[in-house]
Amino acid sequence: MASRDGGPVMDPARVEPEQAPAGPSRRRLLTGAGLFGAGAVAGGLTGYFTSPATEPSGAGDTSFGQQTIPFYGAHQAGIITPAQDRLAFGAMNVVSGTSRADLRDLLRVWTGAAARMAAGQLVGEESDPSAPPADTGEAVGSPVSRLTVTIGYGPGLFDDRFGLAARKPAALTDLPPLPNENLDPDYTGGDLCVQACADNPLVAFHAVRNLARIGMGVVAHNWMELGFGRTSTTSTAQATPRNLLGFKDGTRNIKAEQTELLNQHVWVGQETDQPWLRGGSYLVTRKIRMFVENWDRDYLQDQENVIGRAKVSGAPLSGGAEFSTPDFAKAGGDGQPAIPADSHIRLASPEHNGGIHILRRGYSFTDGIDPQAGTLLGGLFFIAFMKNPSQFVKLQTALADDALNEYIHHTGSATFAVPPGLRPGQHYGDALFT
Amino acid sequence: MSSDGMRWRRRGAAAAIVAASLALMASGCSSSGSGSSAKGSTGAAAASGDKSSTVTISLTSDGCEPKPATVPAGAVEFEVTNSGAGSVSEAELRTSDKAHILGEQENLTPGLSGGFSLTVQPGTYTVNCPGASQPDWTFTVTGKATGPSWESNPQLVTAVRGYAGYVKQNTADLVRHTQTFCQAIDAKDMNQARVLYPQARVYYERIEPVAEVWGSLDTSIDGRWENPVTVKSQFTGFHRLEQMLWQDNSRSGAPAMCAGLVTNERQLLTLVSKAQYNPLEMAAGATDLINEAGTAKISGEEERYSNTDLPVFAANVEASMKVVTLLQPYLRGKDAGVVPLIQQRGAAVGNLMAHFKATPGYDQTGYVEYTTVTKSDRRQLSTAVNALAEAMSKMSAQVSG
Repeated sequence: MASRDGGPVMDPARVEPEQAPAGPSRRRLLTGAGLFGAGAVAGGLTGYFTSPATEPSGAGDTSFGQQTIPFYGAHQAGIITPAQDRLAFGAMNVVSGTSRADLRDLLRVWTGAAARMAAGQLVGEESDPSAPPADTGEAVGSPVSRLTVTIGYGPGLFDDRFGLAARKPAALTDLPPLPNENLDPDYTGGDLCVQACADNPLVAFHAVRNLARIGMGVVAHNWMELGFGRTSTTSTAQATPRNLLGFKDGTRNIKAEQTELLNQHVWVGQETDQPWLRGGSYLVTRKIRMFVENWDRDYLQDQENVIGRAKVSGAPLSGGAEFSTPDFAKAGGDGQPAIPADSHIRLASPEHNGGIHILRRGYSFTDGIDPQAGTLLGGLFFIAFMKNPSQFVKLQTALADDALNEYIHHTGSATFAVPPGLRPGQHYGDALFT
Repeated sequence: MSSDGMRWRRRGAAAAIVAASLALMASGCSSSGSGSSAKGSTGAAAASGDKSSTVTISLTSDGCEPKPATVPAGAVEFEVTNSGAGSVSEAELRTSDKAHILGEQENLTPGLSGGFSLTVQPGTYTVNCPGASQPDWTFTVTGKATGPSWESNPQLVTAVRGYAGYVKQNTADLVRHTQTFCQAIDAKDMNQARVLYPQARVYYERIEPVAEVWGSLDTSIDGRWENPVTVKSQFTGFHRLEQMLWQDNSRSGAPAMCAGLVTNERQLLTLVSKAQYNPLEMAAGATDLINEAGTAKISGEEERYSNTDLPVFAANVEASMKVVTLLQPYLRGKDAGVVPLIQQRGAAVGNLMAHFKATPGYDQTGYVEYTTVTKSDRRQLSTAVNALAEAMSKMSAQVSG
């Protein structure tokens, strides 16, 4: 491999995750001098995060904050990882003029940076007072907070720019027109996505910010969203959180412990036309604005009929407790369904959709106040993982009649293919570009 | 949503949903069973509360599941037994928000039994047993409330009758004005059609809470590009014609589209003529109309091609204030503060709207073109409208019996 500027050439196979390949000038600019070099690593793994391995837990504190989620594994972290409380999500486009090699290099550099951050380390050490700091620094002193970084590839990545057309999974397309959407192009699509989740907002934000910074000149943000509260449960060990409607959300979500359901509905398997994607998944995001002012002034019984659950307990209106299986056939005393025909949980249920499940992993968001209406710009930043985006299309189509549509509107959308996890020594994109 | 026939509900396609298939709202109020616009008096014929029900609750360390978990409204005997759970010794019936205890049996040590009696109204409740692994269990009461319904209150009966007449009259006017609008299209007088479009629209905007119940019909009359789905062939009715007149500047297909609109409106007239209303859904529908004004009109998305948002905005407000006027004699006797607050906030909206009046106005609407309303003016209007809707939302609990 030749180097355009005569710099050192490294064998990619021997690059450690922490290290970036040196190479063409563009890539050198990308990585910054010594950012991921061996020297930096040798300089100490004393991350600025409080690392569980090196930091005594204060006052017997064994809380979440100190906990790391392994970066490497069969699947990327951040999918069935018990949902963290906070999200930062960046959708990026590859800037024009970027070559296939530039893109591949960026993915390799990102791998090292993501692995370091997930381990509670900064993306690079400070060394030269005359250089801009390698890490942006805002997470210094924050516990690692179960940070996960998950990346995905949008349909646009497989156009003619990078020679990846033959690697495009047939299922990876923009979604067809769907009910109750009025998509804002400013919040739709992207060539790449970075989902960072953590129990600390600064840590999640820091991850996306630093990957975007590293990628500057190769990728640029298309849009970004911050989530301030998880709205789904992805493990039986977690309590069900509430969305901005005040209702428990994700009671019937697929859980990490349900291996068979995950294999059936979430992980891409032998059925794919693209072997590189096996063990991965598809990620669909929907920015869903909630007209919370209107919702808040609806009377309680009506709110419960719209959702199909009791507001406080989360129990289905057919009776029982939160985790009781909804009985959609059950009639109320008036002979009509106890869970109304147009209620959200009925129309979204596997029972109503040929047994389809998706793994939801959304977050409440707000973009502040609508400058024109003075009302809240916020709602649910919906994220779901699935074996094929057609699962989401089927569900969303079924929701055309959803009583909840009066109070929500889909304003952004994106679909990504999420590659499988990595082993130490592997990099994002290795399987895709090989 | 309920089929009570009144609730404004901006459904998506709803083609699959006919009003008759909707669940009757299991509401905790006497009015809910009074009849549904779509189904006649089915609700009223449902479970009366005449005979008492027995519910057994067995306390265990796992919980206190009520059996059965659903009973008709009326007298209920709760029989509580402690089948040997050491740590769980009491069961309470609470409101669904758990804020209020309605009945309880305490201090049941293992082997003992006890109970309590209650007359329960329709709604969702929680059976609570502190200390159990699952302490909260849903308990549902269905059917018609016992005790006096709104139908025995002359003021409410008058209000409901008045509203039925208002809806019917406006729907008839809608058909009439739409026919005139279509005649202009047939006569290729596009300028006249642009003038007549908002004039017909205002009648629909007054009755929308009712029309929304028939979801697919509503969508075919008033659907926007994005409801139910951005597919051109499914885009019909007022807003498709609006697009033809203002954006496409073409009458190709317009005469047939307009004739179809009239057909749908006639069907609506037949339906609303048979509809039955109740005070709770009247009140909630009034709030929803203001919500609609604050959401779709302020943003300008409802009349995005014609920019005639102001007259339809005014129609939303007017129709909701009509509900207040009808319910006012009753409301004044219930809570003296509700009506003055609504009127005060309604007047504030009216004062703001007065700034945008013009003669003859944009397309002879009596108002300026919405695009000329500045962002800060829109925000002021939106703020006033939200305050009005918030005040209106206080009516539902007052009229629910």
